[in-house]
This record gives sequence, C-alpha cells and structure tokens, in this order.
Amino acid sequence: MTRKHYRIGVMFSTTGSYSVVARSILNGALLAFQEVNACSSDVELEPVVVNPSGELPRYRSLSLELLGSGIRQVVGCYTSSSRKEVIPCFEKFDGLLWYPSHYEGFESSDNVIYTGAAPNQHVLPLVDYLASRVGLRAFCVGSNYIWAWENNRIFREALIAHGGTVLAERYLSVGDIEVDQVIEAIIDQRPDFVFNNLIGTSAYAFFRAFRAACRARGIDQAAEIPVASCTLSEPELPEIGLDAVDGHLSSSVYFSSLNSPENAAFIEAYAQSFPDGPVSSADAESSYIAVKLLAAALSQAGTDDARKVRAAVADRRLRAPQGEVRIDRQTFHAWLTPRIGRSAANGQFEVLLESREPIAPDPYLVQSSPRFASAMRSPLLKVVQS
Amino acid sequence: MSSRLLQNFKGGRAIVITRRGGWESALETTLAKLGVSTEYPEIVDGRAQIDIASLQADRDILFVDGDLEGAVVIELNPTSHLPPVPVIGLVGVEAPSRLKALVNLGATSFLRKPVHGGAVYTSLFMGINQFLLRAEMSDRLQDLEERRRGRRAVIRAVILLMQQGGLDEESAYSQLRRESMRARQNMELYCEEFLSKRVKPPDTTGRTTGIMLQGGNKRAI
Repeated sequence: MTRKHYRIGVMFSTTGSYSVVARSILNGALLAFQEVNACSSDVELEPVVVNPSGELPRYRSLSLELLGSGIRQVVGCYTSSSRKEVIPCFEKFDGLLWYPSHYEGFESSDNVIYTGAAPNQHVLPLVDYLASRVGLRAFCVGSNYIWAWENNRIFREALIAHGGTVLAERYLSVGDIEVDQVIEAIIDQRPDFVFNNLIGTSAYAFFRAFRAACRARGIDQAAEIPVASCTLSEPELPEIGLDAVDGHLSSSVYFSSLNSPENAAFIEAYAQSFPDGPVSSADAESSYIAVKLLAAALSQAGTDDARKVRAAVADRRLRAPQGEVRIDRQTFHAWLTPRIGRSAANGQFEVLLESREPIAPDPYLVQSSPRFASAMRSPLLKVVQS
Repeated sequence: MSSRLLQNFKGGRAIVITRRGGWESALETTLAKLGVSTEYPEIVDGRAQIDIASLQADRDILFVDGDLEGAVVIELNPTSHLPPVPVIGLVGVEAPSRLKALVNLGATSFLRKPVHGGAVYTSLFMGINQFLLRAEMSDRLQDLEERRRGRRAVIRAVILLMQQGGLDEESAYSQLRRESMRARQNMELYCEEFLSKRVKPPDTTGRTTGIMLQGGNKRAI
C-alpha cells in the first residue's frame, strides 16, 4: 500500500514563560505522530516543528512561513492571544489550525478545529463546584490578556447567578513574578477562594508565595483559601515546588491519574518517548487527540485541503485517554468530559468529581448563560499591574 | 433604568431579505451556532413577502440586503425613529446612497457581503443592543419631555399654595413633593391633578400633551 505523505506544521512556544506546558503539548502531538506513522494507516505524517518562543509577532511570521511552504494543516498555539494572532493567516491561505487547548470561547473560525475545552466544559463546572462546596466570595487573579479577562467575566457572571461575589480582580503581565502586592490584598480580603487565571511562571510564583505568606500568618491556605484554576496541570506542579504543590483545585477534561486502559497506554507510551519530561497534561492529551483526528480525517479525505479535511472530521469519534471524544459538526469543537481535581504532593491530581459522559461544546454559552449580561456589579477592586 | 446588554441570542429568528446566491450560508451557519434560526422571505416583483407588523422585537432580527432597492418598507416609530425590530444592514455596494437607505430603515448595525463568519457575533451584538439602547433612550426622552411640559403646573401649584396657604416657596414645594411621593406620582402629574381639584373651572392650558394634540385634532374646551 502506498502511503500518502503530508507535512504537518507543529507550532508551540517551547521556550518562554509558558514553555513547560507548551513542551508537554508538543510531546503529546509528537507521540501521536509516532503512533500514526507506526501503524498501518494510509497516511504518513511529517511534523515540521517551529518555536515562536512566546512572542506574538513570531507566531504570525512562522504561520505564514509554514502555510507559504505549502503546509495546509498546523497543530499549534496555547495562548488565546497567539491563536487570535494567527487566525487571519489561516483564513488567507485556507489552512486549518488544530488548536489543542482549553480556552475562553466566543469564537468559531471555519479555519480552526478546537480540541480543547470550551468554557462550559471548564469554568462553569468549576463555578458549580466552588459555589456548592467551597464558598461564594471570590478573589480573581490572572495574566493580563484575553484568556483571563474573558474567563473572569464568565466566572463572575456565573458566580453572581449563584448569589456569590467577586471581591476583586487583579491582573499581572504575562511572565510577571512580582506577586507580593496581590497576595497582601488577598489575605486582607480573606475570600473563600482564589480563582486563578495566571499562566506559566507568574502562576508558579503566585502559588509558592501565596502558600508561604499564608503559612507565615498561620493560615492553612489549601483548606482556608484554596486556589482554583482552569489551567493548572501535572507538568506545572513540579515548577511550583514541593512546598506548595498540594491542595490546589483544577477544572479539566483530563488528569493523568484517570483509570482507563486508554489512559494507561497513553501514559506508558508518553513516558517511554519522553523520559526527560515534562510529564503529560490535559493539553498534551488534547494535542494527541488533535493529531489522531487529523490523521483519520486526512485518510478519509485523501487530501490535506482544509475544507475537505474539515468535512471529514465532523462527527468523528475517538477513544481518547480521557474517554470518548467527538468533534461537533456545528461548532467544530469537541465533546469532552469535565472533571474537578485536587493536586496532591505526589504531583498528580485526585479526581473529586467527573461528568458521567462527554458533554457538548457550547463555545458561545448559548445553552448555559442568561439572556442578558448580569447587572454590572463590578468587582470592588480591579487593578492591572504592568 | 437598566442598561443590560443582551448577550445570548438563543431562540432568536433572523429574517434575511436578500436574493440567495450561496454567500449567505456563512451567515446562516454562524447564526445557528449562536442559537438563531434563519428564514428567507420570498421576493416577488422586487418586494419581500413579509408582514413587518407581525414581527416580535424580543425574538426577530431583520437582515436587509442594501443592494435590493425597496425590497422592504419599514415604518419607523415617529418618536424614536426605530423600526419595530432590530435591523442589520447587509452591505454589498458600499455607496453612500445604499448606506443611507439602510440607515433610513433603522439599521443599527452592518455586515459586509460576502459575510465572514467571524463578523456575525459582533454585528448581531451591536445591532440588537444599539436597538435596545436607543429604545431605552427614546423612552427616557419622552418621559423627560412629558415632565418638562408639566413643569408649568408645578410652578402654578407652588404659587397657589403660597397664596392660599400662606407658605413660603420652599415649604410649598416641599409639601407638594411629599404629597406626590405619598401618592406615588411624579411631581408634574400630581400638580396637574392638584390644580384641577383646586381651580374651577379646570384650566387645561398648562398641559399640552402630545396625546391631546395627536393627529392635529385639538380638543374642544
């Protein structure tokens, strides 16, 4: 059998402030490439890996380079700002971006397949959990870009609908590690929990310093002011450090501690291929899913033409490490299984709650948000530290 | 007065007045993602077959192709200059005359043809929320206009109380204000009724509302 050869772009910032997660995502994709090429599929995929180093202009120039060289399919991007930066390039060249990360929704480009969680699959389940089991007074922190702004907005509206309050929102520049002022404000306000949308090194610095500041004041941080995130994943726990690794809540569609044959096989293969780490994560699983679905769609379409591949991936199902995943025909987002986990000292997440089955993506929150925006009860304090 | 923004369009119905040519599929599929269904009224002899009066402002959104001249006639509200439902203009030929025609239909937002899926949410958000905002502002203006007309009654009531009750201006005003609040009426309306009870025969010159003069029929006294 002649195998059809395709060059596939792979674009993640394996250096820069959020490189730990990005390297994990890259590994997930590379593992899937290995498996596709090792099996008797009629397609052979050649990954063409580029690294924008977390710099927005480089995302754009590298996308143009990949697409200009004839590549039509690219698996890439972690931050929403980078995805939004490159979408016009994909639209211009009619390429397809396979975006393998959870994000804030309110987007559905015809040139993107979204294999990560939509907001109804990460932030809304987290609000339900927090409001029913932790408390109603939140303090929000985040990195100063679209992900945190929008995720905080969705969180705020959902929490208010539960009768809760956002005491304050604080934003730091991506990569900023000056977290002391924010921590002072949190301890001063004593919320029931912190909702964290910081990414990368800012998040690790925050977790460490917050635990230390609470400890110095005799506060059991994990029990009294837990931190809840939609981003925190396994490869990031060692970056936080042993002293502050446990007791953090995370809403995710995948944890590497899941008990299933598919996940066991994934974890073993991943560990064998990447013994030096970083360990697997939800986003690594998402990029693994993206490449597997891409290979199946290329095989069915017989071409890498964006429209034909897109048509071929509609309704396609996969037994993924997290369970069954399906690409929604209308939104080209994925049906995924929401879960709430709590980090433990061993660098894993204990799964506290999980959906019984995959739930439909709702990127515009059409099924899960009120008709009108909640009355503008702004947080008591909203500060951007630049 | 609330200025709440509509952000979830689920259950909406888009009525798209255009000649179908394939370009509208991007609009229809994006609207479907936003929970909005799409209908295309037939166009017969250049006229869209649609009963504008039957449309519902809390559900329907009218998309009008600016390249179709006179396909739809919309009677704007004489006070607010708003159409009965939000109108979004579909712009093909970007000529001032076409844009003016769409503005005259009450369009509160525009969408370029061929429609790009990424532009639909913004256009819908603007079109509907500008419509709601303008309707709210028009209501406020009407209310203020009514009250402005009623200020003469307030002045006359204050003077009457000063003359008949021996009160100073401050006390007369305070008394009227207190009593209007107790009656749960605004000052102007309360003072009109106050005057009509106290002054015989009733003097109607203090209030020349739009209702009395509507249609040019002056009320006989």
